[in-house]
Amino acid sequence: MSDGRLAGKRAVVTGGCGGIGTAICARFAREGATVVACDVAGTDAPAPGGVTVARLDVTDEDAVAALFASLAEEGPALDILVNAAGIEIEKTIEETTLEEWNRIFAINVTGMFLTAKHALPLLRRAGEASVVNFGSYDGFIADPGLAAYCATKGAVHALTRAMACDHGPEGIRVNAVCPGYIDTPMLQSFFQDAGDIESLQQAVRDVHPMRRYGTPEDIANLVTWLASDEARYASGQLWVLDGGLSAQVQQMRL
Amino acid sequence: MHVGVLAGGKALVTGGGRGIGRAVVEAYRDAGAAVMTCGRGARPDDLPEDVAWAQADVSDPRACEALVAAAVARLGGLSILVNNAGVQVEKTVADSTDADWDLVMGVNARAVFQMCRAALPVFRQAGGGAIVNIGSISGDLADPSMALYNASKAFVHGLTRSIAVDHGADGVRCNAICPGWILTEMADAAFALARDPEAAKADALKRHAAGRFGRPEDVARAAVWLAGPDADFVTGRCITVDGGLTAASPLNPGVF
Repeated sequence: MSDGRLAGKRAVVTGGCGGIGTAICARFAREGATVVACDVAGTDAPAPGGVTVARLDVTDEDAVAALFASLAEEGPALDILVNAAGIEIEKTIEETTLEEWNRIFAINVTGMFLTAKHALPLLRRAGEASVVNFGSYDGFIADPGLAAYCATKGAVHALTRAMACDHGPEGIRVNAVCPGYIDTPMLQSFFQDAGDIESLQQAVRDVHPMRRYGTPEDIANLVTWLASDEARYASGQLWVLDGGLSAQVQQMRL
Repeated sequence: MHVGVLAGGKALVTGGGRGIGRAVVEAYRDAGAAVMTCGRGARPDDLPEDVAWAQADVSDPRACEALVAAAVARLGGLSILVNNAGVQVEKTVADSTDADWDLVMGVNARAVFQMCRAALPVFRQAGGGAIVNIGSISGDLADPSMALYNASKAFVHGLTRSIAVDHGADGVRCNAICPGWILTEMADAAFALARDPEAAKADALKRHAAGRFGRPEDVARAAVWLAGPDADFVTGRCITVDGGLTAASPLNPGVF
């Protein structure tokens, strides 16, 4: 444990019990970090060793402030904040209600703002800290019928650069991970309405230069690197991890 | 449509016998410019009479300088250069021969460089000029089995920025247009390779937010704007004209 790449580091991961968040927390723990996995699902989910689960609604500022206040009592600093909490709404803007719009921005963007804002005093104290936000390749190019989601991810990308500029002088690095298609419950729900799921999934794999979609472990590999000291000169960047999908022009079926 | 926008302009357009180049030639002419164009063959019968024609193959390294000189002599100067001539070889790197490289890079890269190099002193002496290069969305994103073509268009994009940066002080503006799928003979040839050309065409159509394929006139209108006074502060840019194709994910689930 002690020779792990994150040995001795303290990390908070929001959305820590989701598809990708679970893989990140497990990997962080294996690399020697002490991890607090925050999730609206709270303690119902089983946690691996080294991971403590805390119930947290990232849209609730009082709750976010209380979490970081209690972390401040338990230890002097926070080395890593991963903002992985997020939801998806599969609608065009015309079908999206104001309530849905406000909800996805509250979780995907405002939640990130709140956790980062209240984590900053603790991150500063670490001397060198890393924040990893979850953007998406959808923040660069549009998937049809995901308008509000695409917009939140574009906001995350801009926020990531802004935070990197503002807090770099304080020793805080801020990056975004921009996944493509990752095999998670969110992706399965995206497939669900499609009818013949198996042939759809095969078609989706075939569009990728790597001929598969990503796994939560693929994402955890990148997040671990960004969180580690090896990435100490990496900041303000949007790291696309999509098996080469977005390197291509749209693939016509010829 | 663009009446008078390019009045007094003197334009040389490479590869203007047909396709996108021809549309640029006619749009420039409509906008009031004096135009000369060129191609490997004889003057096309339907080319408007007041457009000058030079039979020239820009893949010949000696052709470009002579072409610019001929345009200056014929038009009484030169203020606009459009590098449109291009070729495409549909192969991966593994399948490409040295002859493929010489062809694709000779026309799509070296000729663009040579044309620009020959035009720059003319522009400098005249106090400025505008270059419009035809790049491609494939210069930024990979089209499968088009390796050398994709790379040649990335060269065009890079050269466009360099010329803008290096020669802006001489009053030279240099921009590129990156067309998507424009229905030309080149695109029809690509569909013809499909197992079911009609189905391939329908699939491709669904991926265009604009609901249609591009037409040579779409590129020509952008070329008029970039060469004209309304784009006086625009330089070093690669402007995509693709009906929204590359704004959408390559994995377009609606199409499956």
